[in-house]
Amino acid sequence: MASIGWKRFKQQWFAWALLGVVTGLLLVVGVTHDSGPRTPEERVEEISKRLACPICDGESVFESRNNASASIRTEIKAQVAAGERSNDDIIAFIEQRYGAQVLLVPRASGLDALVWALPVAVFVCAAAGLAVAFSRWRRAVDTVPTADDRALVDAALDAEDRR
Amino acid sequence: MSERRRRIAPFVVLGVAAVLGVLFVVLAQSDTSRNDNVSSFLIGKPAPAATGTTLDGEPFDLSRRKGSWVVLNFFDPSCRPCVHEHPELVTFHAEQQTLADGAELYTVINRGSDADVQAFFDSNGGGWPVVKDPTGAISVDFGVAQVPETWIVDPNGIVRQRIAGEVTATFLSSYLQQLREQGL
Repeated sequence: MASIGWKRFKQQWFAWALLGVVTGLLLVVGVTHDSGPRTPEERVEEISKRLACPICDGESVFESRNNASASIRTEIKAQVAAGERSNDDIIAFIEQRYGAQVLLVPRASGLDALVWALPVAVFVCAAAGLAVAFSRWRRAVDTVPTADDRALVDAALDAEDRR
Repeated sequence: MSERRRRIAPFVVLGVAAVLGVLFVVLAQSDTSRNDNVSSFLIGKPAPAATGTTLDGEPFDLSRRKGSWVVLNFFDPSCRPCVHEHPELVTFHAEQQTLADGAELYTVINRGSDADVQAFFDSNGGGWPVVKDPTGAISVDFGVAQVPETWIVDPNGIVRQRIAGEVTATFLSSYLQQLREQGL
């Protein structure tokens, strides 16, 4: 015997599927949405927030007030004003000179890709584990009592009545 | 423990061990030693274009120094190691001036007022040119984050060495001599 919740889900599967598709589309749009042309100041801010100060811990080039970060900000401004390089190209230019430790957002290639891949792998494994667990619980609820089960319950009820 | 769990357990353990193994490899490969500071993609490559003006108002263009060994010292008069290192540079400069193919020494500054830097050189010695880098463009092109830092450029304009931290006259002279003997 299927549970009431499962029956209801089967009746409404189309609505659930539609909800999933709409959510997915919104996520894709949110992630890839480009707000169009940006001002040079916005580009400088975005780039400097993606770079770590090369001589201090936990601060971005945008936040840091030290000399090295100030020089990097000036270089970013100059390159943005020149308009010859994309944001990623400017970040690559700085990374080439100061090393990969200046990247606040890890690259999606090589060993750095593990930073992105591991959480996804853990999420997929956890979701699969939950799906298996829910499936087992549902099967447990759906189990039809055997004759032995019924006899056992009847005996217990009889014993209760005799008291 | 049920039979089913007993069968699954080794796979779970293997999975956890695999994840831990990957993390171990990642951590083992990360190099946290300070020696990493002295590496640079510029070693063996043409030096970046570095132009500016000296404290004396003379133009400076690194690319026009080809034909000579050039030593660039990134400096800040308010930095203690820089001040501590300075007498060694004075000695090194004096030694190089006695050689026929002595290296040209340049100090690069992007912090401190001209007057402060001039006062420092006046009272501590040092007759070599001081190149002003007010925007930090030369520092960024070389990837200099902390001073003092010293770079050696050969007569072909190729970067041969980066030395992070203080140098001594003895080290710099002997290292330069080794490079000369290695040839271009």
